[in-house]
Amino acid sequence: MFRTAQILFGVSVVIFLLMPIVAILPLAFTSSVFLTYPIEDYSLRWFVELATADAWRLSIMNSLIIGLGATLLSTILGTLASLGMRSKALPFANLLRTMFLLPMVVPAVVLGVGMQMLFVNLGLASTYPGVIVAHAVLCVPFVIVSVSASLQGIDPSVEKAASSLGASPVMVFRRVTFPLALPGVISGAVFAFATSLDEVVITLFVAGPNQRTLARQMFSSIRENISPTVVAAALLLIIGTLCLGGLAALLRWRQERSALKAVP
Amino acid sequence: MQPFIQFESVSKSFGSLAVIDSLDLTIHKGEFLSLLGPSGSGKTTILMMLAGFERPTRGTITLDGMRIDQLPPHRREMGVVFQNYALFPHMTVAENVAFPLEMKRLPRHEIARKVERALDMVRLGHLKNRRPSQLSGGQQQRVALTRALVFEPRVILMDEPLGALDKQLREHMQLEIRELHKRLGLTIVFVTHDQSEALTMSDRIAVFNAGKVEQIDSPHAIYDTPRTRFVAQFIGETNLIEADVVNVQNGHATIVLGADLAAKVRSGPELQAGQKALFSLRPERMRLGADPAGDNALDMTITDCIYHGDHMRVQLAKGNFTFTARCERLAGNWTVGTPVVVSFDPRDCTVLAP
Amino acid sequence: MSRAPARERMGALLLIVPLLAFLAVFFLWPLWTMVRASVVDDTVSRVLPRTAAAIVSWDGQGLPPTQVQQALVEDLRQADDQQALGETVRRLNSAVSGFRTLLTRTTNAVRDGTDAVAVDLGDLDRRWKEPRFWLALRDAVPPYTDRNLLAAVDMKRDAGGAIVSEDPGASANRLIMFRTFLVAAIVTLASAAIGLPYAMLAAAVTGWKRTALLLAVLVPLWTSLLVRTTAWFVLLQNEGLINRALQAMGLIDSPLPLIFNRVGVVIAMTHVLLPFMVLPIYSVLLSVPRNLMQAAASMGAGPLRAFWRVLLPLSLPGLLSGSLLVFMVAIGYYITPALVGGANDQMISSVIAFYAMGTANWGLAGALGVILLLVTMILYFIYGRLSKSPQLLGA
Ligand SMILES: Nc1ncnc2c1ncn2[C@@H]1O[C@H](COP(=O)(O)OP(=O)(O)OP(=O)(O)O)[C@@H](O)[C@H]1O
Ligand SMILES: [Mg+2]
Repeated sequence: MFRTAQILFGVSVVIFLLMPIVAILPLAFTSSVFLTYPIEDYSLRWFVELATADAWRLSIMNSLIIGLGATLLSTILGTLASLGMRSKALPFANLLRTMFLLPMVVPAVVLGVGMQMLFVNLGLASTYPGVIVAHAVLCVPFVIVSVSASLQGIDPSVEKAASSLGASPVMVFRRVTFPLALPGVISGAVFAFATSLDEVVITLFVAGPNQRTLARQMFSSIRENISPTVVAAALLLIIGTLCLGGLAALLRWRQERSALKAVP
Repeated sequence: MQPFIQFESVSKSFGSLAVIDSLDLTIHKGEFLSLLGPSGSGKTTILMMLAGFERPTRGTITLDGMRIDQLPPHRREMGVVFQNYALFPHMTVAENVAFPLEMKRLPRHEIARKVERALDMVRLGHLKNRRPSQLSGGQQQRVALTRALVFEPRVILMDEPLGALDKQLREHMQLEIRELHKRLGLTIVFVTHDQSEALTMSDRIAVFNAGKVEQIDSPHAIYDTPRTRFVAQFIGETNLIEADVVNVQNGHATIVLGADLAAKVRSGPELQAGQKALFSLRPERMRLGADPAGDNALDMTITDCIYHGDHMRVQLAKGNFTFTARCERLAGNWTVGTPVVVSFDPRDCTVLAP
Repeated sequence: MSRAPARERMGALLLIVPLLAFLAVFFLWPLWTMVRASVVDDTVSRVLPRTAAAIVSWDGQGLPPTQVQQALVEDLRQADDQQALGETVRRLNSAVSGFRTLLTRTTNAVRDGTDAVAVDLGDLDRRWKEPRFWLALRDAVPPYTDRNLLAAVDMKRDAGGAIVSEDPGASANRLIMFRTFLVAAIVTLASAAIGLPYAMLAAAVTGWKRTALLLAVLVPLWTSLLVRTTAWFVLLQNEGLINRALQAMGLIDSPLPLIFNRVGVVIAMTHVLLPFMVLPIYSVLLSVPRNLMQAAASMGAGPLRAFWRVLLPLSLPGLLSGSLLVFMVAIGYYITPALVGGANDQMISSVIAFYAMGTANWGLAGALGVILLLVTMILYFIYGRLSKSPQLLGA
């Protein structure tokens, strides 16, 4: 009796969690203009639309450009800072860490309003650099969390061993620290890219019509006039983020496994 | 032997915690020196100062007459074997061993040759393309050792390198390290808190307590003539006796142990009649039954008898004076309550510094 | 000896400075800009600096002295930034209607006259003889104001400067804040009600079952937020899958209203935020030794009592940080209410966005933003205190 209730509960929550994502995907292949079941006829017309309609094509290009820019910027800055935060000699380490994670906490709308006002004054509003910088701010915490975790997993005595074997500090970094931290850097970059890909609110405030990203384009078409193109775009995003998420998980898993095995 | 490495009044504190207090220590070229001591006595700290990962708060360290205490670790040419081996997890065995040679910028073919030879020497040639995570504990240990040896460092430092191995493998590796030490004429500083390991492997042992050297001597001297109470108690087992000296004569002293028991012991030059002094007598140096030489024969009673497999431990008493003796087997049918004669050679009883 | 740590510290600082500078410029500065916008009101004092300086000496009785009037004339004559002047006019006109025509007329007259001629404002336009225009000007010149912050909580200053409530019906900010907290609380409760037993279940089972339960939480977390909201948008329609299915099963006759109302918002937000509840509880439960429940049972506690006395108290820290997390994220939510909610479900973020983008009322948008930011920061501070590692989102 208790067991049956348990199973029933578990299964229904799993359905609640997964059903929405699974249930809409087939609608991307409908030939009708309505997003309803049953699907009478299957076609790829909405994917064609996605690839050919100017607005959608531009938005996909923009997402890639802005995503790559924001990823590059946040990964470089975040990795450097994570390396710096490893040092025990650093003052206010906790404060700094909290500050670096804060963009994840501040409500997007609040940050968006502030950025819009400031970027107008700085001449960054409605420019690619402006949007890239704004996205990078949001990506930084993910890079910090991921890279710090992988740096924490490095056994300090491995670095000591390298320097006792004659490696200068620069060499220790190049040959030991960085290769060991690399999986964390890559998964941080993946998280950063996924974050930028999914970002709507800040984009709403700082981007002009020329910097419309895919997420932003989806947002406005849901609001104004939803069509199966949105679902086709959603499918694209799901595949994209699942691939990226899977990649990040794989890297982390491999890292953990090798860390576990390294302990005799 | 001339001094090779020298610590001169070296002190080290972490913040307000003084860990090493004015240490003087000399290490000779080609010797195997063990640092032995209880946990927290500062052994690792000394090794880390030698390797350059910690800097002395005060004092100097010299190597071959040159000051090294301000040199960064990578310029000291000391091969360090860490307790957890610290192998590079992202490199193969061969790459690990090649690392120090690459840091020396040796030509490629020479590196390959040296790596090959070093790995063959420890019989790991067939594993050279494996990752450390694919090796057993003992194999990892040998790779770590090879990596520390291959660049011909001036000193090898090992911090409890065998701590993570099981007993059999540990004993095997002890022999192997000892072998390498002899064959290659290495200078080795070896940290351990396993006293039997220190006794079997070392040329000399430095016994530490709370950041100070208690005694530095050959294993033999450390065991047979401990100089302080700490050393006597820390190494092996001992009976500590506080006794009155009643008579000193040609290198021998007569002492009263208590309960009217008198014994003849070897005397140091410092003993004087009428003094109280501390003596140490190892349990296995006592015999139950009369000694033919007849120097010491104490009448005592067996109060307890514990079986340990390869030996027996016998508690003896007279009045409120007690002894522990150790013997191979019990002669006769001695049981608790049996009176017995206890004897020992005066040379086996050591005077301790008070 | 002390040089080595100093050098190391320098190195560490050098590595951190780029990110620090980046965030200072592109994260803290925007927030500061917003905070400033909510309290700074220098449109008028920038265009009319002399008037602003002179008018403070006026006690507000009768008409201001002539040097104030001359200062205004001089200011209007010198004002060459048409846009700023326009803003000033709009600002003053919103305080007292009629200011627009008054100022335009005065400015034109002042510019036509020569510098040497002293202009008498009262002659120019009779309205300058009414104190209320001067009083409005006096109120508008101080560069700092609490007007926006007060308006954000439906308050204002009356003619005498005392703080009073806004007329009911004039503004709805308090209602919206209340609604925001209410929706966030409902979502938190719903997440807790589902998330706590779910996390316990996940911690209790092993093997593939645990993997499946966790994966079901992680997959939505990895999936784009927009995709999940799109999904609910499609599913909750009158013609959507849920209503169709219920109708097909014969449970209902006509479609249930699920979208553009509170129900839809709560369902979609609970779905989005549930992982933030499950993961903290699950990680707390993982650290609970498995045999505690067995120990309780061995001491005679039935399953229910063991749950009540052992498992529940042990999972409370996770429940608490999960709830704080969900509540904190929920009050700042924008996308989901904006897409799935109706006009009566808009939360504070939507209102901020409306003021900022719709009406360009930066002051009010900033003031509401300050309030939201403050509440979020307080919650985050408590959250950081409760859970030792202030890591979010299981990233
Ligand atoms: N980095 C450090 N900061 C503060 N205290 C330290 C540090 N390293 C060591 N200590 C302290 O110095 C003392 C000596 O430590 P050390 O590691 O040298 O002991 P040890 O003899 O190697 O002990 P063990 O046998 O347990 O390895 C200990 O009390 C330890 O707590
Ligand atoms: Mg140690």
